[in-house]
Amino acid sequence: MGASKLSGMQKQVLSLYRGFLRAARSRPTEDRKRIEMIVSTEFRHNSKEVDRKNFQYIEYLLRLGTKQLDQLKSPDIVSLSSIKVVTSKT
Amino acid sequence: MAARGALLKYLRVNVTPSLQISSSITSPPLYVLLRRFSEEVRGSFLDKSEVTDRVLSVVKNFQKVEPSRVTPKAHFNNDLGLDSLDTVEVVMALEEEFGFEIPDNEADKIQSVDLAVDFIASHPQAK
Repeated sequence: MGASKLSGMQKQVLSLYRGFLRAARSRPTEDRKRIEMIVSTEFRHNSKEVDRKNFQYIEYLLRLGTKQLDQLKSPDIVSLSSIKVVTSKT
Repeated sequence: MAARGALLKYLRVNVTPSLQISSSITSPPLYVLLRRFSEEVRGSFLDKSEVTDRVLSVVKNFQKVEPSRVTPKAHFNNDLGLDSLDTVEVVMALEEEFGFEIPDNEADKIQSVDLAVDFIASHPQAK
């Protein structure tokens, strides 16, 4: 895919990804590694599985991700785990 | 009259040395000030060849990249086969190497080694 011209939605996704990696940075090394692993797996999984034209679903994932990122930023959150609810693409 | 002439002569002779002395006293601090200032200005921007070396080593150390394919002109996607998520990771690694944060709109533009070098070398906060 041509990486030079990104759509607005792609930019939003990348920005969210960047946000997660930034939030992971403020954690101790071990937690950071784990968070990075989970986040990167999730983004890569969705980048393969989600239809690029399924804007509604991507919007939903963006909202979900933003909410999760806000939670991760709060110092009360000690860890992150992934519970994968695999919904079939519609 | 003679005394006055002698006095004037004495003064005239005396004035020039005293001026020389005062000018030689004032010039060193100015020099030091200027030198300090220029060093400060130079210190805020990193040398381009140093930036290139450090960017190259960061990109080569990226796990998905084959080090032999990394050149100063390499494009992350076309030459190194990195996708947009990988590119975000590379740019984040560069942020850590140079100790400053790259805003989203700038980070999205960094698509190759030379673009990264240009941006970092022109950024006064890069360390």
